[in-house]
Amino acid sequence: MRGPPLSNCERRFLLRAIQERKRLDGRQCYDYRNVRISFGADYGCCIVELGKTRVLAQVSCELVPPKPSRPTEGILFFNLEFSPMAAPGFEPGRQSELLVKLNRLIERCLRNSKCIDTESLCVVAGEKVWQIRLDLHLLNHDGNIVDAASIAGIVALCHFRRPDVSVQGEEVTVYTPEERDPVPLSIHHMPICVSFAFFQQGTYLLVDPSEREECVMDGVLVIAMNKHHEICTIQSSGGIMLVKDQVLRCSKITAVKVAEITELILKALENDQKARRVLGRRGKGQGGKFGFAESIPKQKITTFSMESAAVDTNDVEEQAQEIITKAEPPSEVATQPILHSPGTAQIGEGIGNSWRDLEESEGEEAVEEECESKATGSECQTMETQDTNSMKETKPDEPIVLSDSEEEEVVILEPQELPKKTRTQTNSKQENPSTKAFNKRRKKRATY
Amino acid sequence: MAAISMRLPVARKPVGPSAPRGGEKHLVAPGDTITTDTGYMRGHGTYVEDEKLIASVAGAVERVNKLICVRALKTRYNGEVGDIVVGRITEVQQKRWKVETNSRLDSVLLLSSMNLPGGELRRRSAEDELAMRDYLQEGDLISAEVQSIFSDGAVSLHTRSLKYGKLGQGVLVQVSPSLVKRQKTHFHDLPCGASVILGNNGFIWIYPTPEQKDEEAGGFTTSLEPVPLSDREVITRLRNCIVALATQQLMLFDTSILYCYEASLPHRIKDVLKPEVMEEIVLETRQRLLHLEG
Repeated sequence: MRGPPLSNCERRFLLRAIQERKRLDGRQCYDYRNVRISFGADYGCCIVELGKTRVLAQVSCELVPPKPSRPTEGILFFNLEFSPMAAPGFEPGRQSELLVKLNRLIERCLRNSKCIDTESLCVVAGEKVWQIRLDLHLLNHDGNIVDAASIAGIVALCHFRRPDVSVQGEEVTVYTPEERDPVPLSIHHMPICVSFAFFQQGTYLLVDPSEREECVMDGVLVIAMNKHHEICTIQSSGGIMLVKDQVLRCSKITAVKVAEITELILKALENDQKARRVLGRRGKGQGGKFGFAESIPKQKITTFSMESAAVDTNDVEEQAQEIITKAEPPSEVATQPILHSPGTAQIGEGIGNSWRDLEESEGEEAVEEECESKATGSECQTMETQDTNSMKETKPDEPIVLSDSEEEEVVILEPQELPKKTRTQTNSKQENPSTKAFNKRRKKRATY
Repeated sequence: MAAISMRLPVARKPVGPSAPRGGEKHLVAPGDTITTDTGYMRGHGTYVEDEKLIASVAGAVERVNKLICVRALKTRYNGEVGDIVVGRITEVQQKRWKVETNSRLDSVLLLSSMNLPGGELRRRSAEDELAMRDYLQEGDLISAEVQSIFSDGAVSLHTRSLKYGKLGQGVLVQVSPSLVKRQKTHFHDLPCGASVILGNNGFIWIYPTPEQKDEEAGGFTTSLEPVPLSDREVITRLRNCIVALATQQLMLFDTSILYCYEASLPHRIKDVLKPEVMEEIVLETRQRLLHLEG
C-alpha cells in the first residue's frame, strides 16, 4: 500500500516556508529535534526517539568460527529493517531502494570506521570468535531515519555486555552472567550521522529534515563524524551539485551537533548504569527502575502534558497594548433582574417574556426554535440564565445563578451583542427543579 | 495580531439516541459471534472458529439467503461501477495515469478513457502519449466515473463526459467513504453560493459555482482567476460544516450539508470547528432531517 501523496498546495507551502527560513515545527534551520534514549531491561537493547522517528536497536552475540581470510578478527553484522508500522508504504519482505541505501550507510559508518575493536572479539584464533549482530528496527518514520538509526546503533553497542570468556590451553570456558559479570565491547569512538537536506539546487539547507521536508527536498548529504572531528563517512544522494564551501560548512555544523549528541549519549549511558547498579543483584533497590516499562509514559486520560514549544514574545507588550486600546470597554453588566411574575425572572435584554401569555401559543414555538440556535458558547457576557423557569427568589442586586448552568463567568475582549437570554426547550438536556405551578404551565403548553 | 480565546473544559452531556429509524442493523465488533448455526456460508469479514461464525471487522451484518458477510463501517473505498470519484494523479505511465482514490490499490485512468480535444472517436496517437503530461500531471485532482473493476479490486476510471475532468480552484475534504450517501447525482450546486462534488470514495470537492454553464472545454482548462472573498467565505464555511458532520458521523448528502450550513450561520466560520458548536449544529441538522422525513 502506498502512503497518501503530497498535494501541490502542501509542496508549494513547504518550499515557500523554507525560503522564508521557517520550518513546520518552528525549529531553526540548524536545529535538531529532541533526542530521547531509553534502554530495555537487557544489555544491548535501546530505543532512540528523534522527534517522532523511533528506532529500536538490539545487539546479540554468538561464538562462531571466523572468516578464513581473517582468522583473528571477530565478525560484525548490521541489519536495518523497516517495520510496516513505521509508514503505510513499507511492506514486509520488499527490498526498497531506500532500505538498501540506508543499510549500506549504516554499515559503512559503523564497520569501516573501525569504531569497534574486532581483534578483541577473538577467543581462539582461527577457531572461535564472537559474532556481534546489530539489528535495527524502524518503528515510526517521521523523517531522518539514518540519524536515529546511527545513534541507536552506537548506543546499543556501547550498552551491550558480552559474556566473559577464559581460555586455558585448549579449553574455552564461557561464563554465564551469574558467574561472572559480562564484559562491555571495546569501542574506540562513536561515529554519528548527521543529515542535511538541500532545497532549490543547494540554496537552502536544513538539518534533520522531517518526513514532509524529505518529500520536497532536492537531495541529502549525510556526514558521519565522531567527537574528535574525524569524518567517518560522507555521502551525497539525490543528484544535487554541491559546492566545496557548502560541504565545509556542513562539516563544521556536524562537528557541533555530534559533540552535543555524544554528550547526551554518555549521560544516558551513565544514568542507566547508575540505575542498574543501585538496583543490585537482589532486584530491590532505592534507585530508579530501568527498562522500557518505565521509560514509556503512562497514557492516562487525565495527563495533559505536551512538549513545550518556544513562543516568540518579542512584541507581546505592544500587541497587548494595542488590543486593550482598540477594544471597547465591556458594556454594563446588567445585574438588575426584573421580576415579571412570581417564579420567573429576566436578566438583561432578550426576547420578550411570554411565559405569562400562554394563550399566544403560536409565537412561543417559533421563538423557542429560534432560541435553540443561539450561541451559548463563550460569547456570553455575564451569567446567563439557561432557563427562565428558575424558581429561586432573587435579590435585586444578585445575579441569578443556576446550579447546573454550563456557563462560567467569561470576560471577553471583543464584546458582541448584548447578552441574550436563551431558553431551551423542555426536553432539553438540562433539568431544573420545578414547582407545581410550573408543572401546570408545562402541561398546558404540552397539550397544544 | 492574535487575541487568545480560552474555554474551560466542561463535561458535555451525552446526547440521547435520535428517533430510531426503521430496521435496526445488527452491528458487530471484531470477535463477536454472529451465529452458531453451521448452515451458513461465510462471506467477507467473517471467519469460523469452534463451529461459530465470528466477525473479523467492525460493521453491519448482511445476510443474503445462506451467505453471511460483514460490511465494515470504516474501510477503504471499494469501487462499484457507476460511482463518481474524486482522485489525485500519482503517476503518469505509458498510456495511462495512476490515480489515488483512497482505495487499497491505485485506480487506473486509461488514455483511451479520457476526453481529448477533437472529438470522441479520435484514435490515440503516439503524440497523444507523449503529451499526456500536458493534460494531467502528478498532483492534479480529477473527477471521474468508475468504468469497470479489475479482478484484483483495482478500479478503472473514465472521464468521457464534459462534466468530468481536471478540477480547478477549490477545497478538498477527505472523509470516510461510508459517510457519503449514494444518490442519483453527486454534483450539486448549493443555493448558498458554492458547488460541491460528493465523491463516493470520501473525497469531497467544494468549488465556486462557475458563472457560465456552457463553457465546458472538456474539463481541462482551469480558470485561475482570483476567487472573490464572499465566495471563499462560503466555501470555507461549507468545508467546516462537512468536517463537523463527518466528525459526528452523519451521512453526507446535499440536504444535510445545506441544513448544516444554515445552522452554522449564526456562528463565526472558525467557531464551527469547536467541539461544542459542532455538536450543536449537527444536532439541529439531525432534527431538521428527521422533521423532513416524518
